[in-house]
Amino acid sequence: MRPQNFIVAFLLGAAIAAGLTVALRLGGEQAVPIRATVLPAGNALPDFTLLDHDGTTVDGTIFEGRWDLVFFGFTNCPDVCPTTLQVLAQARKQMAEQGQDPLPRIVLVSVDPERDTPEILGKYVSLFGDDNLGITGDLEEIGKLTEALGIYFAKAPAENGNYSVDHSTVVLVINPGGRFQALFSAPHQVEDIVHDLPLIMALQ
Amino acid sequence: MNRLAFLALVLVLVGCSEKSGPPVVASNIVVTAPAPGMSMAAAYLDITNNSGTAIRITRVTSPDYESVEMHETTIEDGVARMRPVPALDIADGETVTFERGGMHLMLMRPAENPDIVTLGFYSGELLLLSVSAEFTSMTN
Repeated sequence: MRPQNFIVAFLLGAAIAAGLTVALRLGGEQAVPIRATVLPAGNALPDFTLLDHDGTTVDGTIFEGRWDLVFFGFTNCPDVCPTTLQVLAQARKQMAEQGQDPLPRIVLVSVDPERDTPEILGKYVSLFGDDNLGITGDLEEIGKLTEALGIYFAKAPAENGNYSVDHSTVVLVINPGGRFQALFSAPHQVEDIVHDLPLIMALQ
Repeated sequence: MNRLAFLALVLVLVGCSEKSGPPVVASNIVVTAPAPGMSMAAAYLDITNNSGTAIRITRVTSPDYESVEMHETTIEDGVARMRPVPALDIADGETVTFERGGMHLMLMRPAENPDIVTLGFYSGELLLLSVSAEFTSMTN
C-alpha cells in the first residue's frame, strides 16, 4: 500500500470508529423500554360500568388523571395473582425510593366476580399496599373490558365443585388520559418494571 | 422463595433404604397465609427422594385443612392455568420443587384458624413424609 493510501485508510478507519463510539454513547443515553410493549398513541378503553372495591359505580374515567398498572386476576388465585401483585408492589416501592413521581396505582380487575365482592376485593388489594384499586361487577361488563384489551379468562371447573379461573397474565399500563399505553408480558420482574415504566411515563 | 418458618420436619421411612440419612427430605417450606376473610392457603417446598427407589405421592392431607390438593400452574401463550395433579412421581435421587408459578399445594377449608400447618404426603396409605410449618405472609 502506498503511504498516501495508508493514511487515507487510517483516517477513514478512525472516522468510522469515532462514529461508532458516538453512536453507542448516544444509544446508551437514550434509554428505551426493554421489556414493555408500548403503543405510541395509546388505545382507547371501551365503555363499561363496574364497581370499585368500595362498591361505587365506576366507568372508564376511573383510570383518568393518573398512571395505572392493571392486572386481571381473582382473589382465590393462590399463586400467579399474589405473586404478580407483589412484584408490582415491590416495583412501586423501588420507584418511590428512586424518587419517581408520580407513582402508579396498582389495579386488580376481578375475572371472578361471582366470588369477588367489592368488600373481599378491597381487603385483598390492600394487602399489597395503600392506594390500590379493586374493580369487580357484572360479568358481562367485565367482558367488555377484557375483550377490548385482548384479555382472556375462562372458568375452569374442578371435580370437587370448586373452580379456578384461567386468565391472561399480562400487566397493562393505562395512562392519565385513560388510554391503554403499554403492556408487560409474564414472567414479571421488578427490575423490568422499575426500568421501563418511568420511560413510558416520560413519553407523555 | 423465602425460607421461613420451618418449625419441624418429621421423616417417615418408605421402606428400607441402603443410603444413609432420611429417605424423603423436605426443605424450603413456605406456607402462605390466606388473605383476610379468605380460607385458602398455598404451600411450597422441595421434596428430595433419597429412598433408593422411585416414589409416587398420591395424596396430601392435613389435620388443619379439610382438603389439600397438589396443583400445577402453567403459563402458556400468556394465559395462566391451574390444574390438579392427581399423582406425583419422584425418581430416586431427584428433587421436585413446589414453587410460585409452578407446582404448589392448595389448602382449602381450614378446620379452625391454625397457626401452624402440618402436611402428610402419602403413597396410598403409606405415609412418606410429614412436615409442619408456620404461616408466612402472602406478600413476603
